[in-house]
Parts: sequence; C-alpha cells; structure tokens
Amino acid sequence: MAEKQRFVIKDLKKKFNNNVVLDGIDLTINEGDVLGVIGPSGTGKSTLLRCINQLEVPESGSIEIGESQIDLSNAKKSNLKNVTQLRQRTGMVFQRFNLFQKKTALENVMEGLITVQKKSKEEAREIALKELDRVGMTQWANHYPKHLSGGQQQRVAIARVLAMKPDLILMDEPTSALDPELVGEVLETIKQLAEEGHTMILVSHEMAFIRKVATRCIFLDHGKIVEDGTPKEVFTAPKQERTRDFLRKMSLLEEPEYVI
Amino acid sequence: MTGKIFDFKLVFTQIPDLLKYLPITMELAIASTVFGMLLGLLIAIIKIKKVKVLDKLATFYVSLVRGTPVLVQLYIAYFGVPMLLKYINQQTGSDLKVAAIPGFVYAVLALGFNQSAFDAEVFRAALLSVDKGQHEAAAAIGMTGWQSLRRIIIPEALSVALPSLGNSFINAIKGTSLAFTCAVVEMTAEGKILSGRNYRYFEVYVSLAIIYWAITILFEKILKFVEKKISIPEQVEQISPEELESLRSPKSKAKAYAANHKRLGGELAWQKNRGLS
Ligand SMILES: Nc1ncnc2c1ncn2[C@@H]1O[C@H](COP(=O)(O)OP(=O)(O)OP(=O)(O)O)[C@@H](O)[C@H]1O
Ligand SMILES: [Mg+2]
Repeated sequence: MAEKQRFVIKDLKKKFNNNVVLDGIDLTINEGDVLGVIGPSGTGKSTLLRCINQLEVPESGSIEIGESQIDLSNAKKSNLKNVTQLRQRTGMVFQRFNLFQKKTALENVMEGLITVQKKSKEEAREIALKELDRVGMTQWANHYPKHLSGGQQQRVAIARVLAMKPDLILMDEPTSALDPELVGEVLETIKQLAEEGHTMILVSHEMAFIRKVATRCIFLDHGKIVEDGTPKEVFTAPKQERTRDFLRKMSLLEEPEYVI
Repeated sequence: MTGKIFDFKLVFTQIPDLLKYLPITMELAIASTVFGMLLGLLIAIIKIKKVKVLDKLATFYVSLVRGTPVLVQLYIAYFGVPMLLKYINQQTGSDLKVAAIPGFVYAVLALGFNQSAFDAEVFRAALLSVDKGQHEAAAAIGMTGWQSLRRIIIPEALSVALPSLGNSFINAIKGTSLAFTCAVVEMTAEGKILSGRNYRYFEVYVSLAIIYWAITILFEKILKFVEKKISIPEQVEQISPEELESLRSPKSKAKAYAANHKRLGGELAWQKNRGLS
C-alpha cells in the first residue's frame, strides 16, 4: 500500500459581498478520516465543501493532496487542469441529490466514467453496475430519477461518486432533504462507506449519526473552526462555550448517551 | 370567363401542379429554421453568459426583429443586400456580383433572422429552466463546461424548448409564402402564376390553404412523436434477474435483450443501436 495521503487545507477565506463566510480555515484530513462537520445554519459548512471542489472560488486558500498543491483562489483562471484534477479527486454528494434528470440510474453512474475518465462503455457499465450493487440499487438501474424515491436517488448519487474513485468524498447534508422514513437507508450506506475506509467530510445535522461514524468532528461557527476533536470529545466534553451553547440548543449535551 | 362560379374540381386537380413547388417551400423552411435556430442558440448563450457588449447588441437585435413585420424584413433584405454589396464594391474596388446571389438566399436570411429572435427567447428560457444542481453535479464529477452543456444541459433544455421550436418551424413553413418578395417561386408564388393564367384566384388559394393545412397537421404529428420519443418514460419496470445478468455478461446480452427490450430504459437501448439485439 502506498503511503497514507493527507489533505491539507490552508488559510481558506471566502466572503460573499461583505459577508465573511469562511474566515481562515486550516484543516488537515488524513486518509481514512471521516470528518463530521457541525454548526449552526448559515455558518459556512456548505461553502467550505464547495470551495474545496471549486464550485465556489474563495478569496484565498490552498489545498494539498499528496504531492500536488492547488491554489483554490485562482486555480480556475490560471489552470483548468488543476480544477479538473481537483474535481476528479473529490466527489460530492448533494443535499438535493442532483441526479441527471434525463439519464437512468445506470447512465448517471456511467456518465463521468465515460466523459471524464474516458473509459469504454463496456468498462463503464461494469463499474457502474458494481457500484449500484454496493448501494443496493441494481434493480433500479434502468429507472430515471423521477421514478425513484429520495433515498434511492441519494444512493444512486453516492454510487455515482464512488464510481469515480475519489480520494475525498464531500457530503453536504445528504439526508436532510429526505422524508424521515428514508433517512435510515442512506445513513446505512454512508456508514458502510465509512467502514470501508473512505475518506469523507460529512456535513450533517444528524448529530447522533456523526457521533457514531465520524472519526473526528469539527464545530464550525461564523466561518471559524471553534472545536476540533473526536466526536466523543466534541459532544460530551466541548472545550468552548460556543460549542456547549450549540449542543445545548440541539439538546444534545444533556444526553451524552444519545444514539440512534 | 364562362362556366361555374366556383370550380370545385379544380381545387383538387391543380394540387399536384402546386405540389411540384413544395420542395422549394420546404427547403426555404428548413434552411431558414436551421439558420434561425443556430443564431437563436448563439444569442441565447450570449445573453445568459452576459457577454460584454454583445449582449446589449443581442437585446437590440431581438427587439428590432420582433418589432417589424416579416414582409418588411424580406424587402429590406432584398433591396438592402445589393446596396450593401454595391457599397463594398465602391469602397474596396472589388467586383461582387449582385446578380449572382439567388433570391433564395435573401429569403432564407430574412426568414432565418425573423425566426432567430423568437428562438433566442425560447432557448434562453429553456436553458435557464435547467436546475442549477445539474450544472453543479456535472462540474463536481469533473466534466468541463462544454461537456456538461452538450451532454446534460442542452438535452434537458431541448425537451423544454421542443414544442416552441416546433411551432417556430410550422410558422416558418407558412412564412415561406412571402418569399415571392425576393423573387423566389415557391408554392404560393406558383399559385399566383397559375391563377394569373386561368383567373381562378379563389380556387388556387383554397388549394393552397388545403396543402398548407395538411403539411401543418403532418408536422404537428411528427412533433408530438418526437416529443414523446425524447421525454422520460412515465414508468419503467424493474429489471429482472435475467436482464441484469445480460447486462453483466456481454455474451448472453443479445438473447435476453431481444426477449425484454421493450421493458428497458435508455442505456439499455444502446445495445440495440450496436446491433446486439
Ligand atoms: N451564492 C451565494 N451568494 C451570496 N451569499 C451566499 C451564497 N451562498 C451562501 N451564501 C451565504 O453564505 C453564508 C453561509 O452559507 P452556507 O450555505 O455555507 O451555510 P451552511 O453552514 O451550509 O448553512 P446550512 O446549515 O443552512 O446549510 C450564508 O449567510 C449564506 O447566505
Ligand atoms: Mg448548507
């Protein structure tokens, strides 16, 4: 096995107009980490993920993946290769699934393999079926997104990400657009990924779930990392008053044994 | 001028004579539609991307074209282009032959410009109707802007735009009846010529009406068919284990595919295109 990779994010700053959303984020993620990100609404959790894969361009910041270093603030303008490279090494699971509407589940998973990785259709199909199998969706391979429940769509979206073999998976509230009865199947899939050793950043309001699967947890507030530790540390013995406040509001602090 | 007031039979017997000019009518309609759509798509992209200067120009152009009658536009093309050529010849000493340009070209240009203004709005609305999440999902897996436009966005936008584009084409067919202004003899012009000979003006126009109507109905049907063809099927059945097996192992593909091909969605149809069924 190759040496373990690290993802080092440095001095990430992003503002929208005059609204400072990320205020200097420094973050190192080790291969195999499942990093839970929690924090109040509007605090920049989504923006953090979106800056990492360049859906937003920050004012400053860089990311180091293994040997390559990418300037996040102007990768787009100076070098398209860097953006593409970065996006190939990261995968994103969206809150609203964002499956390609005019493609079947199978085609959704095959799309990037063919257009981005230039694989043959046969090879792409084989990989796609394997990934659909992993998320338990092979039976629905020929279904279009509109035929699928939210939970099923999200599982296909996860298969679409897995098929690209990303080094880092970014998940932005993957269950919060789901009906309550569908949350479980998606969490189950994510848990499975965590157990398989995928490196992930998981933004979620499912605190109990984060506690269970994350190897590390950060609390983000006003664009800064306020708390950083193991889920157990962050949830049961937060060092910062702001974290305690937040957890109290979520009524989680008083129930340290709370598990799903 | 003796005989019946209304020659009912003639309405039908002269249809074949008129139909001889149908190819010209259709060439005009198709050429101007293709030209209009391409220009329209370009304008739509310029407006969406807010390309500097060009987008102001595009807005001005669309407003101008929409605000003037086709007939006037045709005359402007017919008289304006030769003047422009003369001017260029004068200025540069070149020898561009006005007479060498067939009337067909003026007609296609004018009818195409006319359509482009309408199509631009159709494309713009359709492209904007595609959910932002589709762009983001494509970008996030590493597709380039062009790949995502071509493979994801345009196919989705096209479904939205198709009914309006179809209407635009049907209007174009009818619009070709004005091409006589550019000295093009298409169906209506031929009708005028025929009736000039036999003075059966009314009958000729009734014949023409029947033909245009029939063509319109035909294309409406074709349009409906295409719309259905490119829309997402209402329902898809789950894949059976055999079908799944056929997908997995290419060798047994052909057999299972033939047996089940009606039940399968888009990607699976690909096998058929490859002659595996
Ligand atoms: N495209 C944008 N333009 C302007 N402001 C934006 C944009 N995207 C996000 N913001 C602002 O940035 C701030 C952080 O947004 P972000 O979506 O990152 O928060 P979040 O932590 O993910 O919140 P939530 O838990 O509600 O998803 C918010 O104040 C939001 O209004
Ligand atoms: Mg968010």
